[in-house]
Amino acid sequence: MIRVQTEDVDIGALIAAAKTSGTGAVVVFDGIVRDDGIVEMELEAYEEVATAGMEKIAAAATKQFGLLHVDIVHRIGRLRIGENILIIVVSAGHRPEAYAGSRFIIEEIKRSVPIWKKELTTDGGRWVAGEHGHGAGKPS
Amino acid sequence: MTVKVRFFARFRELLGTDILAEEAGLTIADLVKGIAKTKKEGYDAIFDEHGMFREFVIVMKNGKRVETPDAAKVVVADGDEIAIFPPVAGG
Repeated sequence: MIRVQTEDVDIGALIAAAKTSGTGAVVVFDGIVRDDGIVEMELEAYEEVATAGMEKIAAAATKQFGLLHVDIVHRIGRLRIGENILIIVVSAGHRPEAYAGSRFIIEEIKRSVPIWKKELTTDGGRWVAGEHGHGAGKPS
Repeated sequence: MTVKVRFFARFRELLGTDILAEEAGLTIADLVKGIAKTKKEGYDAIFDEHGMFREFVIVMKNGKRVETPDAAKVVVADGDEIAIFPPVAGG
């Protein structure tokens, strides 16, 4: 399941679904809204391009690390402190591949998928600066 | 002929989004300039003092990245979707 959505997701159900035949390790990444003196966080996506980008990243990770199963759910809309933002669930035969595949996916999402975060504070809000100068991948 | 221009994040707040343009024969850069110049703060966020896309601005045509220097040469066609946005910050 690769999705950009407003709703939260049942991580337990994703873990259960990730335990396909041959699974020896499941790694879960759960990015959450941190209490940085903010009230809420607002997330926005170029949804079609973001979903297609995450599908491409999942396919690349599957190929590179021999993953058996990949789920990526990136939430958008207004989220409170402590809420899930991004859930990545991967399974593999062994832990090195599962950890490496999960890490690859989160770093690629941060580098290239068109999603933005705005921290809402009591006196307004501020857009979170991207970690990468360009983002959204290379021209094709 | 209709081209849709989508701005995201800070650019959307300044200029709106899903703007339909009907003028034919424009490059991506000229099309976006025509829309952005309606609001100085929006224009200045996207273009520098020479009228070039700022270094960090990302341009897409139909979901594919276009280098900003090329955006001054690529002419839009009927049905195209142009997206303009700042560096991504998801995850």
